Amino acid sequence: MNLEKTDFNNTTSSVGLYFIVYSDRAEDEVVDPKKYLEESCKPKCVKPLLEYQACVKRIQGDDSGHKHCTGQYFDYWHCIDKCVAPKLFAKLK
Amino acid sequence: MVGGGVIQQILRRKLHSQSLTTPVRSWFSSKNAHVEAGSSGVRAFALLGAGVTGLLSFSTVASADEAEHGLACPDYPWPHDGILSSYDHASIRRGHQVYQQVCASCHSMSLISYRDLVGVAYTEEEAKAMAAEIEVVDGPNDEGEMFTRPGKLSDRLPQPYANESAARFANGGAYPPDLSLITKARHNGQNYVFALLTGYRDPPAGISIREGLHYNPYFPGGAIAMPKMLNDEAVEYEDGVPATEAQMGKDVVSFLSWAAEPEMEERKLMGFKWIFLLSLALLQAAYYRRLKWSVLKSRKLVLDVVN
Repeated sequence: MNLEKTDFNNTTSSVGLYFIVYSDRAEDEVVDPKKYLEESCKPKCVKPLLEYQACVKRIQGDDSGHKHCTGQYFDYWHCIDKCVAPKLFAKLK
Repeated sequence: MVGGGVIQQILRRKLHSQSLTTPVRSWFSSKNAHVEAGSSGVRAFALLGAGVTGLLSFSTVASADEAEHGLACPDYPWPHDGILSSYDHASIRRGHQVYQQVCASCHSMSLISYRDLVGVAYTEEEAKAMAAEIEVVDGPNDEGEMFTRPGKLSDRLPQPYANESAARFANGGAYPPDLSLITKARHNGQNYVFALLTGYRDPPAGISIREGLHYNPYFPGGAIAMPKMLNDEAVEYEDGVPATEAQMGKDVVSFLSWAAEPEMEERKLMGFKWIFLLSLALLQAAYYRRLKWSVLKSRKLVLDVVN
């Protein structure tokens, strides 16, 4: 917090008026708008997310190394991207 | 994917229907003996061959297909997208700062000169000062020797590596491409580069990336040599704009778009002007054509019957 004291000397009165200004310094933590929007778009993309999680569970025991969930992963992130893209630039300079 | 399965079924049905009418043995015998009678047999055999090949390639392609092409990037509403929209030059200036501080250590932009930045992102004095910070090899001088001097406006942006081999050697065999034309050199370049830079994520379950590479779903194949370079507040912008990952991504892509298409604004103005003028010319030409043809088109032909 910045405290600025400005002496405001009023000629008509013998006592100077003190003018205290508080200014908020910018947040130390900047929030990346894209991450924020991706989080807020999660409820819209629950179905592909659940499909992905189901796939993760299905292949959990697999040791062959051939099984993977790229398809479901892509579906989920495609849904998120479609949701985020129109809104993102409004949050940027 | 679905089409492949449907074609499979159609082929099977065709083959089944044929096999009901003609047993297999007679196919081959008829094929050898008579050309006409065997033509349907040959066709069926060919269909079977096509079906089998389709099935075999189908099963291997489907699993590799998605990662091979990379995740399709979304379309972002770039401020310079409209038919008469110009670049956001403040964004270009910030983007150049990001390039210089984050990207220039590995990526060259050897088609851009300092003088190109004047009037676009920097004033002449600023650009001169920036150029003077680099050392350029020049020569030969009167004694026949090469010498180094501070940069001038006419010099190109400095290259991080002397040649491609040096670049590959320093980056584990991968060549960081020159960025002068990158947004034109990639399909849907602007959106792709933005998605790529801001799209570093954990890989999906079952995918492991070898040491030295990083996962990025937008990169064809998924394994990219470049690590995530845009992190919040990696750069401090001169104009005080908060340098989040998305902000830096947008600014650097604006800069790269300008670098690849510096003529864009003039082109759009010219396009608008000439399309307008040519539309007027079209109307004039249409009127003139109809005027000239009206003589013929308003002819009356009288058919007289001679008895």
